[in-house]
Amino acid sequence: MRMRWWSFKRTAVCLALVAAEAASAEGLPGQDTLRADTLPGRETPFLYRYDRRLERYRRRFNSLIPQTCLLQCYGDMGLVSVGVGWDYGRREQWETDVLLGIVPKYQSKSTKVSLTLKQTFVPWSFSVSELFSIEPLSTGLYLNTVFGNQFWTSEPDRYPKGYYGFSTRMRIHVFVGQGVTLAVPPRKRFFAKAVTAFYEVSTCDLYLVSAFTNSSLTPKDYLRLSFGLRFKIL
Amino acid sequence: MHTKTINYLICILPLLWGGCDLLESHPYDAHVTGETDINRKNTALIEERLAGKDTVRFAFITDTQRWYDETRLAVRHINARGDIDFVLHGGDQSDFGVTKEFLWMRDILNGLEMPYVCVIGNHDCLGTGKDVFRSVYGDTNFGFTAGGVRFICLNTNALEYDYSEPIPDFGFITAQQERMQADSLQRCVVLMHAAPESDVFNNNVAAVFGHYLRELPGLLFCLHGHTHALSVTDLFADGILYYQCPNIKKRMYLLFTVNEEGYAYEVVEF
Repeated sequence: MRMRWWSFKRTAVCLALVAAEAASAEGLPGQDTLRADTLPGRETPFLYRYDRRLERYRRRFNSLIPQTCLLQCYGDMGLVSVGVGWDYGRREQWETDVLLGIVPKYQSKSTKVSLTLKQTFVPWSFSVSELFSIEPLSTGLYLNTVFGNQFWTSEPDRYPKGYYGFSTRMRIHVFVGQGVTLAVPPRKRFFAKAVTAFYEVSTCDLYLVSAFTNSSLTPKDYLRLSFGLRFKIL
Repeated sequence: MHTKTINYLICILPLLWGGCDLLESHPYDAHVTGETDINRKNTALIEERLAGKDTVRFAFITDTQRWYDETRLAVRHINARGDIDFVLHGGDQSDFGVTKEFLWMRDILNGLEMPYVCVIGNHDCLGTGKDVFRSVYGDTNFGFTAGGVRFICLNTNALEYDYSEPIPDFGFITAQQERMQADSLQRCVVLMHAAPESDVFNNNVAAVFGHYLRELPGLLFCLHGHTHALSVTDLFADGILYYQCPNIKKRMYLLFTVNEEGYAYEVVEF
């Protein structure tokens, strides 16, 4: 079980690193003036190389600082989920978020915590006024894992191999959504420089396989709605 | 705010239509809405309606997981006959143990014009399925009397319980035997999801289970599902037949008629 969990974590870290790399490559121009600006007169190649490395090291870790905070309700990732995210791409059209959600107890024995890794693509953003812009389409997918020993990633050993053939713990969801962004005027900024209100319509693997084989299931059965706020901090 | 912005917002609002059904915190959230405790309510109905009746006629369906269309057809077919007293469901209403699967299936089965009861199947135990089953249907071992026949409904999915509960529960079987003696009942039928010797049964006690069932007064036959096949087996070579109904996808159910002389059954295709 530990191995499987590790592989999920490793996937998350890799995705975050890829995102950070993309951000550092595109978002911070002009770093090559380092030698002239900050280290005048230093000619020793060793120090120069070390300083460059240090700078790169700092830059990489700086780019890992999440740029956004996220609050999302429902959407099969928790009643309420909170998380942090990174925007990247030339027009910041890519977003990667990591969220922790709370699933209430309802009729089960305990409240559950879920972890979501979400990848969003926002192809367009249109300004409608000085303050508002609209994202007419956002789409993407998220992986969700729920904690609790009644769930498994792959079947426990007591089952014959491939007995159920799916994981009760890991879900993959696809979604489409829309959003409205309010740019907070510089003087009024306190927490964020922009706030996006969004909603998403999603479904997950288990609902899709049910919907495909049953004409009597309607979109109301297999589609899920979620909504939330995204705060752009950096 | 610009008119344009307002227009965009108006475009979004229709999505709040029917929003409540679309809001879900997790597929396994065990958020049960609608009717609960169905087995208790329906066994009371069956006992009341069939009290003093000589002939009992029931349909047996099982393994309806993820075959909602076929289950709907079965409900329609059973209703159209008009001669069935109640319906037994042999378990596996859900495929993944996902909460909504139980509610979808319950809503379809609620279309039956006669009462129905359900035993738990191995698929119903996955994730939070056990909790949802318990909420929607009730205890996983239960019994009721229809006419003069005792129906003993058992949880036999030992593989899903990992010794946390006694599966099968011999204490429960003994209690049912005592109950039958107290009520002077001479005949009984046993319903379970997985038969002895199947992969989810605790096969260490399969023979013991057979022995306990033989001790029941006037056991007519056993009913089960699980392997999705139509079969009649004398499992312990003791003359007690185990009838298996195929999964609902094969569009078949079993129809049993029990009276003082004995019982008859037919396989109904729909």
